[in-house]
Amino acid sequence: MEFVGDVVNWFLSAENWSGPAGIPNRVWEHVQISVIATGLAAVIALPPALWLGHFRRGGFLAVAVVNIGRAVPSFAIMALFLPISIRLGLGLGFWPTLLALFALALPPIFTNTYTAVRDVDPALVEAGRGMGMRERQLLWTIEAPMASPVIVAALRVSAVQVVATAPLAALVAWGGLGRYIIDGFAVRDNVRVLAGGILVAVLSVGTELLLGALERRIVPRGLSRATEQVVPPAHG
Amino acid sequence: MITLTDVTKTFAGTVHPAVERLSLDIAEGEVVVLVGPSGCGKTTTLKMINRLIEPTDGRIMVAGKDVLNMPAFELRRSIGYVIQQIGLFPHKTIRDNIATVPHLLGWEKTKTAARVDELVDLVELSPDMLGRYPGELSGGQRQRVGVARALAADPPVLLMDEPFGAVDPIVRANLQVEMLRLQERVHKTIVLVTHDIDEAIRLGDRVAILSEGGHVEQYDSPGEILRDPANEFVADFLGSDRGIKRLSLIPISDIELDPGPVLSRSATVAEAEAMMSKYGIDWAIIGIGSRIEGWFESKDLAGQPDLRNVPTRKHRDRISPQASLKEALDVVVSSHTSVAAVFDEDRYLGIATIDQISREIVQ
Amino acid sequence: MIVAPVIVAPVIAQADEPFVRWDWVGRNLDNLWAATQEHIVLTGIAIGIGLIISMGLSIVALRWRKTYTPITWVTGLLYAIPSLALFALLVPITGLTLLTAEIGLVSYTLLILIRNIVAGIDGVPEPIIEAARGMGYTERKLFTDIQLPLAMPVIIAGVRIATVTTIGLITITALIGQGGLGFFILRGLQFYSAIGTTQILAGTVLSVVLAVTADLLLLGLERLLTPWARRRAVM
Repeated sequence: MEFVGDVVNWFLSAENWSGPAGIPNRVWEHVQISVIATGLAAVIALPPALWLGHFRRGGFLAVAVVNIGRAVPSFAIMALFLPISIRLGLGLGFWPTLLALFALALPPIFTNTYTAVRDVDPALVEAGRGMGMRERQLLWTIEAPMASPVIVAALRVSAVQVVATAPLAALVAWGGLGRYIIDGFAVRDNVRVLAGGILVAVLSVGTELLLGALERRIVPRGLSRATEQVVPPAHG
Repeated sequence: MITLTDVTKTFAGTVHPAVERLSLDIAEGEVVVLVGPSGCGKTTTLKMINRLIEPTDGRIMVAGKDVLNMPAFELRRSIGYVIQQIGLFPHKTIRDNIATVPHLLGWEKTKTAARVDELVDLVELSPDMLGRYPGELSGGQRQRVGVARALAADPPVLLMDEPFGAVDPIVRANLQVEMLRLQERVHKTIVLVTHDIDEAIRLGDRVAILSEGGHVEQYDSPGEILRDPANEFVADFLGSDRGIKRLSLIPISDIELDPGPVLSRSATVAEAEAMMSKYGIDWAIIGIGSRIEGWFESKDLAGQPDLRNVPTRKHRDRISPQASLKEALDVVVSSHTSVAAVFDEDRYLGIATIDQISREIVQ
Repeated sequence: MIVAPVIVAPVIAQADEPFVRWDWVGRNLDNLWAATQEHIVLTGIAIGIGLIISMGLSIVALRWRKTYTPITWVTGLLYAIPSLALFALLVPITGLTLLTAEIGLVSYTLLILIRNIVAGIDGVPEPIIEAARGMGYTERKLFTDIQLPLAMPVIIAGVRIATVTTIGLITITALIGQGGLGFFILRGLQFYSAIGTTQILAGTVLSVVLAVTADLLLLGLERLLTPWARRRAVM
């Protein structure tokens, strides 16, 4: 009971709300890198996934990518990018974190986009071809829109995955909300640990709910069934 | 054997009962068919006998015992149940599928094994199928396994819900014949549900025609129902060709056959022409008593002094006396001679004419 | 993953210091093996307990359909909390112990296992259930003899995913003082040199090998348990 009081106090104390180690800054760091990592992954993964999906090539790659992504623990990915980043002269902190989160965000976006485009009803594509559409037009006017619910769902899944894994980045000397947890472990400050846990949990679950609601707004009702097919990545 | 008294079923959330105060009596060893349009409650009634659907009201007695006085699973182990999609267990071998109820009843292994062998023989399956899985069998084979499985614990009663509905008409006709043959051997009390009136007529000792709400419009032998439908509903359900349907129930041996235009080889051309004009036809048969050589047409007589060298043709469409009048009608209508020649093996018995047949319809 | 080779290549080319210290690997084989065994034990406990709880909750959900939504909601919520945060929430209560680790690990298996068990059981075709009931199967025997065996492929698919996920999560338990291969990954982060890299790689590679092996073994188990699924009609 006393412990709970300590935690409440922690949240109430002003110093935890200001400065580089304060909650607002940490949240901002967390959100910022998640957005960049997911955005980058989307930019890099979407074009080849759309292209390969349209031409129905490289299915093996899509499957392999997701299977590797699932078998390699996210912790390990985060850790691996530290020495790589150092080798590349990019140092600690921001770069290994970004690269690792980027690597995590890629597989769900790539594979689900590929599959969604590839699985668009062939009759529709054939109809389009019959009307004289060229490959690029087929992709933009038929396949991509039909696949969009799944793609949006995949982006959501990917973003949530990134937000959920970012706390681990504290181990590669970066910031974000994970800092409270890791630092708390280091100095055996259970108050900080719990507070950090609460913050991360709230942000993650909140992101999931928010993006889920957004997705439901964007996706037209008729196509919403498709989003259930999204392959979820491994847990972080 | 089975008695339903004022049985009622009202499903939750509905106002009108699916089955309302139905009373029916089924004797031991008889095949009773419940037939009627969609939604008349025939399947609901069937399922209340083994309590897959619990009755809302009324009483059901099977072999003198009230079905509600025992645990449902115990009741069901003493009643065979066959459904349209069969529902063989894909993860068990054919042997294990058939042995299901004996296994549930705790039979001894040797007894079960012997029974399985017996059943495989009864339903005419090859014993080397016992080790296979249902996925490896054809539709017809699976059907037989379903029947064997239902009969495994030798239940006195068998319930069948559209058992032949899922197969094509040719296989269905064969299965119906086999079922009748099987029933000759096992003498079960069978309650069968179907929507097909022809099937009901063919299989049932007695047929109950049901209308919406499980109302029994008529419950009698197929012949009687066809001869004398109780009301307009029944007459409509039987169809406008019920007269012809009746014909399928009457064997040829029931009517008196006409001897037909039979002449011996020593007859004269004049006698042949007389015979033909007597029957009003342009052909005749050569033979003596029940041994005949064949038939010939009047134009075959041209230039012949007598019948000695007249060429004859064998009757192609021969019917046995066990065949129904309906089959005879088919032959009469389609054959060149416009009659059906009736033969018992090679013995000629006479001809069935359209007049004789239509007399039966009218009766 | 496509980007990885592009980054790794110049890194390896930069070999003034070896990227991997194989001598370290040679010296620490025993430790690596011990960590692997620890990892396996942790996985076994998590999946075992997870299955028991999931089976129980699934039976409840199947029997009383209305509970399915709340159950998936709660387990889904647990699943949405990042592992580090979940451990952070548990540590102040249960300490840096095995119990904390297992509570967390088991929680993550629940959603996927329950979903798959329920889907598997629901997927058994209706005629089979009706035929079984009609022949006099009690509800209990129906479940154990008919529904469960036929639901196996779907259930095992869930177990495979849960197992691979758990093996990955165990690496994080190193942070709360538990072992497994995560220990080496954690240690490796403290050395900004080839020794560090080697440790991280050792922990990672062994985790992946473990995950793939477990996946294949479970696939083999599925094949073993469903001999009827492979036999097709010989016409």
